[in-house]
Amino acid sequence: MEREEDDSVSELLRDRFRLSTIHIAEAEAKRNDMEISGPVMTCIADLAFKYTEQLAKDLELFSQHGGRKTANMEDVILSVHRNEHLAAMLRSFCNDLKAKEPQSERKRKKASKKEDQATTSVVHIPDS
Amino acid sequence: MEEPTFEPDLIHAIFKIVWSRRALERQMIEGADALDGETGAGTSKKNRPTSANGNALKLSCELLRNFITEAVQRAATIAEAEGVSKIEPTHLERVLPQLLLDF
Repeated sequence: MEREEDDSVSELLRDRFRLSTIHIAEAEAKRNDMEISGPVMTCIADLAFKYTEQLAKDLELFSQHGGRKTANMEDVILSVHRNEHLAAMLRSFCNDLKAKEPQSERKRKKASKKEDQATTSVVHIPDS
Repeated sequence: MEEPTFEPDLIHAIFKIVWSRRALERQMIEGADALDGETGAGTSKKNRPTSANGNALKLSCELLRNFITEAVQRAATIAEAEGVSKIEPTHLERVLPQLLLDF
């Protein structure tokens, strides 16, 4: 029963994920003056979804290894450490995000306590 | 917004499903251990699922967006070399091994 509910929720998420993937892929294809056939789109979406699940596992293991309960940006960067280009790119994105935050000075003083706080989710997932 | 990307909420929801599933698994393993009388208090705290902060989610979205754009771009390069303007499964097949190694 509980399992079924979990499955239907993840099915819904998978569909939403697929939709976003199609959106991104089509925009990218347009930039290259290309079209994408249906099977390719499905395949890319499934791959990306599997990658997301794998990323979740990685982030959990990395944050646990760091003695934390909350995954932070360092964990995400660590998960791509084998690809230096990608890591550098994420690093600069990470710095952009940090720079965008209004109270960066205060945060430096008050350590990273605020940053480690978990986000409250808007999407409701039952704690099965 | 010129570049479409994932919503952090969506990624967070997917992460949470994986994390709560794993927390449940841990709990079951703990439960088996508890029968041996090895574990004591504090197990429920230990089994709380992982969470993520907002910037980490945004960064994850960026990573996933890159995964998709890379897949499309590399396949597009192959398609272009073949002189067609539609990406077919064979094009993706050609770039897949290296793509999976890179991510």
